[in-house]
Amino acid sequence: MNIVFITVSAITVLGALLAVTLRNLVHCLLALVLFFLGIAAHFFLMRADFLGAVQILIYIGAVAVLILFAIMLTRNISGTEGGRGSLGGGWWFGVGVAALLAGVMCLCARRCELISKLPYGATEEGVVKEIGRLLVKDWVVPLEVMAVLLTAALIGAVVIALEEKR
Amino acid sequence: MSVPLGYYLMFGGVLFTIGLCGALTRKNAIAVLISIEIMFNAAILNFVVFWYYLHNGALTGQMFALFAIAVAAAESAVGLALVIAVYRHYKSVDVDEMRSLKG
Repeated sequence: MNIVFITVSAITVLGALLAVTLRNLVHCLLALVLFFLGIAAHFFLMRADFLGAVQILIYIGAVAVLILFAIMLTRNISGTEGGRGSLGGGWWFGVGVAALLAGVMCLCARRCELISKLPYGATEEGVVKEIGRLLVKDWVVPLEVMAVLLTAALIGAVVIALEEKR
Repeated sequence: MSVPLGYYLMFGGVLFTIGLCGALTRKNAIAVLISIEIMFNAAILNFVVFWYYLHNGALTGQMFALFAIAVAAAESAVGLALVIAVYRHYKSVDVDEMRSLKG
């Protein structure tokens, strides 16, 4: 076992736990940023440098700011959730389902015995160049489909969030 | 790095279930979206983990994770727009109060 793996995993799980349990939504968002950073650190540890950079740029740079805007546009002034507590009525049911799923997945994962292969040789000479080449050669159709999807999402988000007509 | 694959899978599973737990129990719609982001990231982490352990020089796993990140970003933008539209209509983002379609 690797001490770095344990430390980064603990920080990531802590961030995730805080993000789903804290009462104040802005604090939730800060914990979520910690979680995103932990995931990016895992990407760096697995030699997926480009993905780590993309994770930081897209999730911390874009998604977290988007969620912050949504919190500021919707919350009441105090920022905390309603007086009845932040959990819904059948919260124990949700926790039970999640705990059951966690147990089953950990039981399955325990039987997996693969050890890491050799390090990826092309890392030193630049994965980014290879990814860029692949994006415009082998993966050009998915790239264009993704462009259409992002445009549709952009237009859809604007239309949905527009002021309703009286 | 000599971490067995099973530990990474357990880690991803734990993250996914934390997100699932939040998505099932929180009342605020934005908190539910935050939980869904956690689940998305656990799934993307699994893509990269399997790429790291099973690749044979190809970058397909990383490309797949890249596209998954792009789809997740589009999803969160549309989801937050929906939350804002719902807030404008109901003056609340409590998912327990959105029951116009309940029979």
